[in-house]
Order: sequence, then structure tokens, then C-alpha cells
Amino acid sequence: MKNLYFALTEEFNAQGTIALLASGQAVVYYRLAMMSKDGDWVLRETPEACGRVLEVLARHGAGYRPGAPLDVRWLCGGWSSHFEFLDAEGRRIRCDFVTRPPRVDLAEMEICFGRPPREGSLPVVDLESLIRMKRTQRAKDYPVIGELARLLPPERELEFTTDPDRLLELAPLYAEGSKRPAVQTATKGGAREEVVVALAREADRLQQADRVWLAAYQDASFGYLQEFVRQRLGDLPLFQAHESLCRLAERLLPPNPFPEVDDAAPERG
Amino acid sequence: MQLLSEDDLNLREMSREELDRAWDLWFDLAQATNEFDPPYSHGVFVPLEGATRRPARPARDT
Repeated sequence: MKNLYFALTEEFNAQGTIALLASGQAVVYYRLAMMSKDGDWVLRETPEACGRVLEVLARHGAGYRPGAPLDVRWLCGGWSSHFEFLDAEGRRIRCDFVTRPPRVDLAEMEICFGRPPREGSLPVVDLESLIRMKRTQRAKDYPVIGELARLLPPERELEFTTDPDRLLELAPLYAEGSKRPAVQTATKGGAREEVVVALAREADRLQQADRVWLAAYQDASFGYLQEFVRQRLGDLPLFQAHESLCRLAERLLPPNPFPEVDDAAPERG
Repeated sequence: MQLLSEDDLNLREMSREELDRAWDLWFDLAQATNEFDPPYSHGVFVPLEGATRRPARPARDT
């Protein structure tokens, strides 16, 4: 009896570290909460890593869900790939992959990929990167960020906590050099209510930024997704679907929805 | 706002095997809400509604 997403992480990485456990299952791994029915991974951006993941998923009988093909030509533009299968007990398993997680410095991901594997541990996104990935448009992610921040050293927790009382507790000791508006409010003697407002403004700004960023992908993928569904590509065996998806994406899915910038990932927040 | 209840905090005291069994039970129970889950929880398609959903494929013998 095992967390199947942890087991998949071991399978993906059996020949070398290529897939970092992320998002909800990383929260489970860090022992904060039972949070997610899906599995999410940050994948090394190489054709070999994509091939390895497709092999493992094919063995499990996975099919594509509507999304980009698992191919570096689109993953490097920030697109995500999505898969689904039923396990031996008939439970739904969803697997999602990116190589360019939003708001995360790729150099930090390279550090995670380069860490030597330790007995009993899994390759997992580091805490600060995980927090940045969770700065989404969804309000429910922000309390999780506060709990993840508690696992950091205090001077770093101060940069990420979403808990006004924790911020007020840490600011007098660790605020030096912080540019975070909520921290500056606390250090200038602001009342608790002012810190609450500053944190709320920060969360709102991050949520709005995520909405704008995702809207570009929605617009860019509309025709492609329509064809995906019309051709029932999710019903095909995985490798056959993958070939068809790549051909479809070459016609209808722009590799980078932000052609005016080289790096499609949104700014680190 | 506290995210974790007293029960959640116990996760850190569990052995790996206990955590796996707890998650496995939670995952079993969570299957009951599959029909009501959003089509995407992460990635760039999160805002999409359910029009593109397809039923899951049955497991193949591995």
C-alpha cells in the first residue's frame, strides 16, 4: 500500500532524476496535509525526459487529457501536459507536467535536479519554489503558502508568510533588507490591520497576475483544444495520441503564447 | 487562519508506512467526489470549464 504518486515519482526517476514532485503531492511529502488527488511534476526539459515519462505512463495505460503534447517544443513555452488512467483498484490517477513552472527561477530547478538522490527520499521541488508555484489565482492556495513558509528559516519565512500575526512576530527580528510591502508596513510601526491589508493587496496582485498570464494560454489554445476533443485524441493509445498531438500542435498550438518575450514564464512574485 | 487541525499536525509524527496508509485511505474516500472535481488543478488550462473532459481509461495489465 503506497501513495501511487510517490511510486510514480520513483518510476520516473529510476534511471536518473528527471521529474520533481510538485504542488499538492509535494505538500503531502512535506507532511503538511493530505491535499491532492492529482500528481504534478516539474520535468527536466529534454526529449529524453519526455520519452521516459511517456514510457512509464504507457505501461500504466494512461491516455492524454486535453493539453499540450509532452514535447519540449511546447513545454519550453510554459505549456502543460496532462494524463489520466485508472489504477488496479479503479481509482482515478491524474498526472500533470510542466518544465517551466510559473514564477520559478529555472536555475533553482536545476539545483533540485542536480541533488544526489538520498535513500528513502524523493526528488521534490524545494520549499521556496513550491511556494512561488502556489501563488496562483486560487484563494485556497494562500493558507497553504503560510504553512509551507513555517518550514523555512525565520528570515525566509518572513518573505513568504501569509499569516499577519506571524509576520508581526518575525518582522522586529528579521526584517532588515526586506522589500516586501507588508514587512515594511510592520517595521514602520503599522497596526495589525494595516499589515492585513498589505497582505491582502499582495495576494490580490498575485491572483490578478496569474489570471492575466493564464488568459494568454486559454486564448492561444482554443482551436487546438477543440480539435483535440473533436478527434477524440484522448481515446487513442498513448504513443499514437502523442504523434497525433504533435502534428496537431504544429498546426494550431503556438510554442510560446508570449512571442514578445523569450521566457514565457511569468515574473517571479 | 490555521490551515491544519490537530489531526493534520500528526502527519509529521507518522512513519513513512503510516503516511502511505493514511494517504491511501484518504485517496480511496476522495474518489467519491471525482465527478465534481474541476478538469484541471494545475497547469495552464486551469481556468477551462468541463467541456473538454473525457472519461478515464481503464487500467491495462502491467
